[in-house]
Amino acid sequence: MAAVLEVLAPGLLTTVQDAGRRGFGDLGVPISGACDPWSLAVANALLGNDPDAAALECTLIGPELRALGDVAVAVAGADLEAEIRPSGRRVMPGTTAWLRSGEVLALPSPADAGARAYVAIPGGIDVPAVLGSRSTCLVAGFGGFEGRALRAGDLVLAARSAPGSGWRDGLPWPGPHTPPGGGPVRILPGPDSNTGLLAALAATVWTVSPSSDRRGVRLIGEALTTVSTAGERLTTGVLPGTVQLPPDGQPIVLLADAQPTGGYPVIGVVIEADLPIVGQLATGDEARFEVVDPDEARASNLARRAEFEAAVGALRAG
Amino acid sequence: MTDEPRIEAFGDSGVLLTLEGGSTVERARRVHRLAQVIRTETGSAPGWSNPIPAAASVLVPVDPLEPGVDVAIERLRSVLSDLDDVAVTSPEPQQRVEIPTRYGGVDGPDLAALAAARGLTEPEAIELHASVDYDVLFLGFAPGFAYLGDVPEAIAMPRLATPRTRVPAGSVAIAGRQTAVYPFESPGGWQLIGRTDVRLWDVDRESPALLTPGDVVRFVPV
Repeated sequence: MAAVLEVLAPGLLTTVQDAGRRGFGDLGVPISGACDPWSLAVANALLGNDPDAAALECTLIGPELRALGDVAVAVAGADLEAEIRPSGRRVMPGTTAWLRSGEVLALPSPADAGARAYVAIPGGIDVPAVLGSRSTCLVAGFGGFEGRALRAGDLVLAARSAPGSGWRDGLPWPGPHTPPGGGPVRILPGPDSNTGLLAALAATVWTVSPSSDRRGVRLIGEALTTVSTAGERLTTGVLPGTVQLPPDGQPIVLLADAQPTGGYPVIGVVIEADLPIVGQLATGDEARFEVVDPDEARASNLARRAEFEAAVGALRAG
Repeated sequence: MTDEPRIEAFGDSGVLLTLEGGSTVERARRVHRLAQVIRTETGSAPGWSNPIPAAASVLVPVDPLEPGVDVAIERLRSVLSDLDDVAVTSPEPQQRVEIPTRYGGVDGPDLAALAAARGLTEPEAIELHASVDYDVLFLGFAPGFAYLGDVPEAIAMPRLATPRTRVPAGSVAIAGRQTAVYPFESPGGWQLIGRTDVRLWDVDRESPALLTPGDVVRFVPV
């Protein structure tokens, strides 16, 4: 039987997420999936899973999960002070741990920086795929655990009974981590941007608003002058990483649960390599932007993927 | 195509094609056809995702490295240059969908004020809303949420100044010259004029969205 975790306490917002449900934007369906896809892939790689496998995304205050049998887990992303109870052993982000039957994995609070931790189990989380993905679509209530966040009493099943070969307790991720509260977020100019606006965006130190959620990171700072379309453009498709400028001049960076179309001017788009940084921004964090050109974006994206492959290779080589 | 779409990069992971001119409904039809053609031409290619049609544009999500935005733009230009052929003009079968609707009262709390503001009685406003075949322009906002147009000018109304924090599922609503049905309970700023029990979204259906672009919708008072 596949290993099982019983949810003793669900945490603030713990959902099943994989790499997302792509290809249904024309039906109004958000992509969903991990807000920090890098850390999702790290947690999975540590167990020999497909990097896109479904894991638990834990927000700020994570769950308490009791092992109903011996089970391997991997934790990545923000440091939510994960520990095994009752021993009190810490599980640092980017490492694995072996939970003995009856032990509890708890992720009680955010340490310094970062918003989201990922907990992977062997083979990924065994929930039905809906429209090709196991991610939770909160707005429409499907995917993951019945389309909702975890609750106390839920049973989390692993798709496999054991991790991949080469696995051991305490295995560290040999590659980079998503920088917590990280450096500037690199963007490319958006269809509605102009030089002055981008300069002002990049010159401002923004603060993450408490009204941010999985749909978008809302920023607070000196209001930008809205673009000539008077704050509204005809509704157009958008993607995670899209930087919108509503009429109040306070930008929004869209995240995984963003609706697939939006009516605000698009002043920038975060490059793929930096999407995980946005996904780790927590309320009160500072955020900065740096405008790059397509060549730099491409080089950074290439380097980021190469770093992942190299780290996975190092893991397999033991 | 009569007018060439404007083609531009959407960051490192998308290409945006924008159409100009024409009425809302006519432009949405061209957007829909454009999305269909792109889907057919690129749908099975690695790194290409299903295009997202909107009011006057199609967003084509692509992998930033393979194919990458530059290659994707070249490919889309070539697709468009071949476009005077069949695909664009051949009509497709349209689905006609009727939406039985309870108008006014608790089901449509904004109907009375809307009618009064437009100098109409409630029955007149209802009759106008139910007198038109609406085009499904595009989907967005939430799974299965279809933007329908055009609402007769006589009952057009801007959004509420302050959006509601909770709009019940099945609410039939107006914003400007568009009308829609909320598939789920959600926040919303549209004027609520009625409610239906029809399920706009059901993941267990073969086609989860009841309405898709190209369909024709009629509201039927009950």
